[in-house]
Amino acid sequence: MAKYLGIDRICNFWRTIKASGGILNSLRLTFRVDELRDGTLVGVDKYGNKYYENNEYIFSRNRWVIYSEKVNLDYDGSQVPAEWYGWLHYKTDLIPTKDPSRPKHKWIADHKPNLSGTNEAYIPYTTTKPKIIPWKPPQ
Amino acid sequence: MLRLPVIKLTAGLQNGRISVARLHTTSSKLQQELVEVFIDDKPVQVPPGTTVLQAAAKVGVEIPRFCYHERLAVAGNCRMCLVEIEKQIKPVAACAMPVMKGWRVKTNSDLTRKAREGVMEFLLVNHPLDCPICDQGGECDLQDQSMAFGSDRSRFVDINYTGKRAVEDKDIGPLIKTIMTRCIHCTRCIRFASEVAGIDDLGTTGRGNDMQVGTYVEKMFLSELSGNIIDLCPVGALTSKPYAFVARPWETRRTDSIDVLDAVGSNIVISHRTNEVLRILPRVNEEINEEWLSDKARFSCDGLKRQRLITPMIKINGNLEAVEWEDALVATARAIQNIAPNKCAGIAGKLVDAEALVALKDLVNRLGGEILATEQSFPKEGAGIDLRSNYLLNNTIAAVEEADVVLLIGTNPRYEAPLVNTRLRKGYIHGEQTIGLIGPNVDLTYDYEHLGQSADIVTQLRNGTHPFSNTLKSAKKPLIILGVDQLMRKDGAKILSETQLLAQTLGENTKAPEEWKVLNILHTRASQVAALDVGYSSTIEEVKEQQPKVLFLLGADDANIKREDFPNTCIIYIGSHGDEGASIADVILPGAAYTEKVATYVNTEGRSQQTCAAITPPGMARPDWKIIRALSEICGVRLPYDNLAEVRSRLEEIAPHLVRYGAVESANYFAQALELSKQVPGSLSSDPLEVKQETLDQFFMTDAISRASQTMAKCVQAVIKQRESNL
Amino acid sequence: MATPVTSGLKQVKPILSLTHVEARRKVITLYKTWYRQIPFIKANYILPVTKEECQQKLREEFYRHANVRDLRVIDMLLVKGQMELQEVCAQWKPAATLLRYWKQTEEPKPKDFMSKFLSGHRE
Repeated sequence: MAKYLGIDRICNFWRTIKASGGILNSLRLTFRVDELRDGTLVGVDKYGNKYYENNEYIFSRNRWVIYSEKVNLDYDGSQVPAEWYGWLHYKTDLIPTKDPSRPKHKWIADHKPNLSGTNEAYIPYTTTKPKIIPWKPPQ
Repeated sequence: MLRLPVIKLTAGLQNGRISVARLHTTSSKLQQELVEVFIDDKPVQVPPGTTVLQAAAKVGVEIPRFCYHERLAVAGNCRMCLVEIEKQIKPVAACAMPVMKGWRVKTNSDLTRKAREGVMEFLLVNHPLDCPICDQGGECDLQDQSMAFGSDRSRFVDINYTGKRAVEDKDIGPLIKTIMTRCIHCTRCIRFASEVAGIDDLGTTGRGNDMQVGTYVEKMFLSELSGNIIDLCPVGALTSKPYAFVARPWETRRTDSIDVLDAVGSNIVISHRTNEVLRILPRVNEEINEEWLSDKARFSCDGLKRQRLITPMIKINGNLEAVEWEDALVATARAIQNIAPNKCAGIAGKLVDAEALVALKDLVNRLGGEILATEQSFPKEGAGIDLRSNYLLNNTIAAVEEADVVLLIGTNPRYEAPLVNTRLRKGYIHGEQTIGLIGPNVDLTYDYEHLGQSADIVTQLRNGTHPFSNTLKSAKKPLIILGVDQLMRKDGAKILSETQLLAQTLGENTKAPEEWKVLNILHTRASQVAALDVGYSSTIEEVKEQQPKVLFLLGADDANIKREDFPNTCIIYIGSHGDEGASIADVILPGAAYTEKVATYVNTEGRSQQTCAAITPPGMARPDWKIIRALSEICGVRLPYDNLAEVRSRLEEIAPHLVRYGAVESANYFAQALELSKQVPGSLSSDPLEVKQETLDQFFMTDAISRASQTMAKCVQAVIKQRESNL
Repeated sequence: MATPVTSGLKQVKPILSLTHVEARRKVITLYKTWYRQIPFIKANYILPVTKEECQQKLREEFYRHANVRDLRVIDMLLVKGQMELQEVCAQWKPAATLLRYWKQTEEPKPKDFMSKFLSGHRE
């Protein structure tokens, strides 16, 4: 009955606001990610990105990430580290802490997001031997 | 073979050798003796003794061959030149058979074609399938002739049974890469080594299929002309080691130029690609270097990439720092402004072109200085540099082989000017020259009489007290070659005057023709003759005496200029390589090397030639004369020329022969020079005559470019190693 | 075609005009057309130039060829001018190409020795 009158939508709305931590927080979140969804917090990675899941939404919109507060509005898809990437993109259903088959080697490097536009952006340089070898003056 | 145009014939041929370029001397007597032959139904009149191949070349028909070479003896072992003669059963080897009257030669008949296809088939039977990895691909005689004259299909089935022959590679030095499987046994290298280079190290071992060309024992082929066998070899058996796998001939661009690492001025072709010099090959010039090139000229091109000066530098706080052009020129101008007249001097080095010399002289003269020196001082007493006959190889290089008695004074032409040495050897072999040497007992490629090592042998020869003077007096075309290093001694002027007196005596007593000049000076530096022509008459001692405030070093890299001699001078170095001169300089202005500029060089005969720019100067370097012109503008004494044409018109003002490229201006006033030299004071010192380059390891690294080259260093090491082994 | 122009010894086919008077009239017509088009250029394009600057540039371009005497060359220049006008009127020419008339970013080629030397110009 509530469905016919549309009251359940209002209830959904308030539930989402409560799950997002109040009206002020909801406004902040909407400003930041243009979206307000409620979901269970599945995990947090070491950069502070929070991963949510809600299987009531349609498949492909039921898992999402809220990027850490450190990056504010400069969030970027490449900031998701490798271990959470698989879960987020539906390659696996197990989150990193629950998955025994994740590789753990001491040589695995730290994750780096896409650095284009920053100071550490890769600018190609020549690795060939120079054709002319200049004279070095004696010291 | 198909690449080089067949050289036009002249009269008087023997054994297929082309004599020195002279005009056709067909007198009426010779005309009667001409034999008429028909080549492909085209009649041609040739003197008797011409081979069929040469007669065909006169008509324009090129007969394919591998072993025949115009400048070497005829071998006739490749059999590729077989042509059919009418009414003869067997085809004849065109390179070896002299023509008979009335012969009708058919160079395109069925028999000839079958013969060529057959020979080519046999050559290819044992030739490895190396074309993709062979350096000679694209310039290979075998490739060209098999395309033009070979058959289109192979009948070689033996590959499934015994297969092709393989031969071990021989190690004959750091310059020549040998892959003897590819050798077709044309024996050109053997003939060259024994005839032109004078070293009988190469030969054949074994017979038939097991024949191998090499040195038999593990000996290196160390000669100053060893690189020429790379050009001679028609296949890829002998290739250049520094140039191995670098480029294919169709990717490179070729620029004609002149070699400046010695004073002969050999004509070269610079192969380059994407602004990088890859290799240097000789160009044919009958009058200077024929078809040969010395090793130093050929292989030092990798020295053009090392130790280069690519930015202007100024000494800041005791260290040379790279700066921009404006800063360098302004700093130099600041050092130059307000100096007293005659406190400015210049020293010219080895590899400087005439344009830079003239520009520097103009600049120094405008700044009030008069002292311009060359590193190799020329004596001022007597005629000095005023009369050209005093300092040129007056008789021209080509005429050296026509002399019948040659006297070498204080020179080792083998290493100082290898291409003059080939002429002497040519005269020795074909013309029975007698050669006498005054100086250290060096190993020349021909037998000579060692007359001693002291300078007064010259006087003895003149007086007739020396046993050799009889040979000299009875000579029809005597020749005296004096090494220019001897004129640097304290008694240099006296040596020159004694030699002039001797030349005068010989000229009077013998029956030499009018144009024959007895006295010749052999130079070792490419820029020396141009400097003397332009007016660089001072010596380094005079510069040291003057203690100038500003000293220009134009490529002066010999170690005889030290910083301690000039404590209060601002030394400005203009050159292309960082060598001795740059390390003592206060300001360095980077110049261009000889492959990077259009410049004029005068060789030891006085022949002016021009180099062409194959690549651009590296980094911020500029051509030398432009640097001096820019400097002059900033200093306020602007020179009146802006482009090359104007510089050359200034050159023409000073000495018109400097812009008449390719021609020798014959020097005269010998009598006047002699009179002036009679007034030279002093006497000959008793020091023995020494030569700077006595052995092969001293030949390779003599100037800034060859000292920077790694190939030259490897050569020196190889020579020393060979000397220590007992083969 | 019209009768050939018999100026000088050569007889050549004319391109547009037969006499200098005709050519002059055509040139002035072209100039006036361009001049009248300038307000429309300013309306259609966003250019950082004022109307006066456009008029000045037009004058400059026409005066550049003021000393040409050969009729056929004048005719060719006329044709090119008409083509440019068409491109500008129909807005086929983008604004950047139009701004090339003012050559704001072109560096002048070095002409005297010192500038050629310092810039590395080889001639």
